[in-house]
Formats: sequence, structure tokens, C-alpha cells
Amino acid sequence: MAKPAVIVVGADKGGVGKTTVSRTLLDYFSANNVPTRAFDTESPRGTLKRFHPDATEIVDMTATADQMKIFDTLNTAAPSVTVIDVRAGLLSPSLAALRDIGFLDAAKSGQITFAVFHILGPSIASLDEIAETAAFMDGAKYFLVKNFINNTSFFEWDQATYNSYFHRIKDATELTIPKLNEMAFEQVEVSSVPFLKFVANKGPNDDAANYSFVLRGYVRHWLANVWSEYDRIKLTEIVGSGKAAARSSGEK
Amino acid sequence: MHRTPIYVICSPRPQVGRTLLARLLSEFLLLKNGAVSAFDVNLKEPSLLDYLPKVTETADIDTTFGKMALMDRVIVNDGISKVVDLGFHAFDEFFTMTDEIGFFKEAARRGVTPVILFMADSDRVSLRAHAMLRDQAPRGLLVTVDNEFVLRGEMPEACAGGRTLRIAALPVFLKTYIDRLNFSFTGYLRAEKDSSTELHQWIRDNYFSFRELELSLILQRP
Repeated sequence: MAKPAVIVVGADKGGVGKTTVSRTLLDYFSANNVPTRAFDTESPRGTLKRFHPDATEIVDMTATADQMKIFDTLNTAAPSVTVIDVRAGLLSPSLAALRDIGFLDAAKSGQITFAVFHILGPSIASLDEIAETAAFMDGAKYFLVKNFINNTSFFEWDQATYNSYFHRIKDATELTIPKLNEMAFEQVEVSSVPFLKFVANKGPNDDAANYSFVLRGYVRHWLANVWSEYDRIKLTEIVGSGKAAARSSGEK
Repeated sequence: MHRTPIYVICSPRPQVGRTLLARLLSEFLLLKNGAVSAFDVNLKEPSLLDYLPKVTETADIDTTFGKMALMDRVIVNDGISKVVDLGFHAFDEFFTMTDEIGFFKEAARRGVTPVILFMADSDRVSLRAHAMLRDQAPRGLLVTVDNEFVLRGEMPEACAGGRTLRIAALPVFLKTYIDRLNFSFTGYLRAEKDSSTELHQWIRDNYFSFRELELSLILQRP
């Protein structure tokens, strides 16, 4: 049986695209035939669950019972990959909780694969979180995700500021999420389906839908770019599922 | 089942005869099929709309909403040929979009045949645009238009390979005559009893070229 892998997607700031990135991860694993389960910590109502109801469970990360539900089942759950969408403000407390229950030590000793996707917003406050989060990253794969949803430049124009944040953590890997056309994003929101189903012109129950061909094209193009970033970091190999398979972008 | 053609008439340069070709082709399709849907993507200076208001509507591709309104209409296999007169302002925006949304692949899936009629010119912008279209459009669907009135019989070598459509130059006085807003090519063919006039032959030659083009598209299909 493959070593369990846990991917935490989070940020302490809100509105930076955590759930969007989680959704692309679930679509990516689905397209690569990697069985995955997800936990949405936006208790009691979760956005991730709205898009991936079958794979997602809503939990309260601060409750011990729900922590047990996630971490005590890592070795027994059929999907070996667990994606946790951590709600705004809970990333640092969640990592502290993981340290306290010995999870980070297990990751350090190689019993579990642990990866953190830290979604960065356009503000200095968001970048300041990097140092805070980095303290927990011993034994984890740490990804700094630059989400261009707000057309931000992440201070690339100011090299000193940029370096002070992005080159401070030695083993962090940068990932880029390009901007998705606003109308395309909103149409997927309204449709409440995974990106993959939207591209394939399918409704929530796999029924034929009638989404705009232009908007589907934008989503397909964007999703392919996001996935190429995941391919670049060899995400399927990180979670122990071998190389990324040749796949379609969902359209039949 | 028949495939529905979409003719996109384009150039990154103004004053190359794009709207003239759009008018000719629209009138030919109207004569042959009884119906055509034309789209005028020249927001700054609508012109096809002025000539053929009954079959033409304007389209704006500056916004996503405008792109949806145009593309979701044209990519339908409803048996009605479409003609898109793409203004030079909209050239880059349109083909960036078609590349991003996978227009040619989707068209093939939906039983629609997009034909790009590129108005050739000898400047660098046109040559670059032609090279970009050669990369983007599947083989055989890019047709380079040799408008003799613009090129004076000197098709640039870089544009010469592949399928071409030639439009003969008209004398200036006839050019002025056909540029009148109430002029109709088909109307002229019907009204003019003398079929030996230069204009009569010019229109018939062009209609014949369109028929040849249609035939070659049919024969090219798998």
C-alpha cells in the first residue's frame, strides 16, 4: 500500500484562492487516476464540498474528534491522498496542532508524505505569513503558491522585497497559478461543478450541460497551465503514485 | 451530415479589401443557399452592416461577454454559412482568443468548418500575422487572398504557399461604382442584360472562385 500523503492548502489571509487551488488539485488527481479524499475546514458550510461533494467531508480542524477523523484514518482510508482545504486564519494554528499531535514528526521520519501549499495574496501581510509558516516545515514539502487571480506582481519589481520573502526559505518551491478569465470563473461558480466537468460540458450529475464554448475554452486553457505547474513539481510522484499519466483535459 | 462553414475574413491592416470580400461572399452565399449570417466586427467603423443590414449584425470582442455572444453563435452546425468581417483592430484579440479556447478543435468536433480568408499584404505586420495563422489554423483552412487591387500582382513569397483566392483588380471608376451603399452584386447580375461587361464578368469570376473554394473544402474532408 502506498505511503499516505497529506496536502494542506491554506493561508492566514482570506480571499487568496485556497479553495480554487484545492479544486484544481482534486481535478488533477482525478485526471491522473489518483484516488483522493478531501476535507473542507469551512465548518459548518464548505465551499470545496459544494464542488466536490462525493470526495469531501466538512470538518472542524479545532475539534479533537474531527482531527481524529482525518489523521487516525490516514493508514486505513482507501484513498492514500488527503487534501485539506484550511480556512482563512487557521493555517498556523492547524500546523501547530499537527506538530502537537506528532504528525509533523511522523512526516519528518518519512512515515507520511506531507506537503503544504501556502497560497499567497498580494499584500505584505500575506508574505509575512511565510516566515511564520516556515517554522513548521521541517520534513514537509513546502510550496509557495503565487496566485495571480488578483493580477498582483508579488513585488517582483522590487527585488529586495521580493528576495526577502521568496528566497528566505531554502527548500520552498514556488508555484504559479495564472489568472482565470473572470466570467469563466463566475460561470463555474454558478454551475457548482468541478473544473473538469465544466470543461466536459457536464452538470453536477454528469448530465449534459450547455455552458458557453468560449468560457469552457478559457477554463480548459487555464486548467492546463495550472496542471503543467503540478507536473513541473512532479506532484503525482510526491504523493507516491508514479509519473503523471497522459490525460485529456476533460473534454470528450 | 453537411458541415457548416464559417468564413473569417481578416487582416491586421486596414484598406486591404476585407469588407469588399465579405460583401461579395455574403451575397454569393445568400444567392446560393438562400441564407447567410454575417457578423461585422468593426465597432469603430461598421461597414458590412451598412451594405447588408438584413443579414448582418455587429459583434464586439473587446469583452468576454461579446466574445461569447459571437463565438457561441457561429460555432453551431445549423446549415447556415457564417461570414465574419473581422476589423483590423480586432485581429490580435480574436486570434489570441481562438488559440486559447481551442476554436479549431471544437469546430471540428461540432461539424463546423472555419475557413480563414487572410487578405495578404506585403508589410511586416501582415507577414507575421500570416505566419501566426499558418501555425494556428489546420492545413487547408487558411486561404490567402490575393487582392490584385492591393498587391498589384506581387503576392509576397512568404504567403504564396498553400491555398489562395485571387480577386482581380477593377478599374477605379468601377470600384467607385460598387462602393456605393445601395449596390448589390447579385442585383447587378440580375439587372444587367449585357453579360459581357467587365463588372459582370468580375462578379461571375469571383462567385465561381467561391464555388471552387466550397468544393475544395468538401473534397478535403475525411
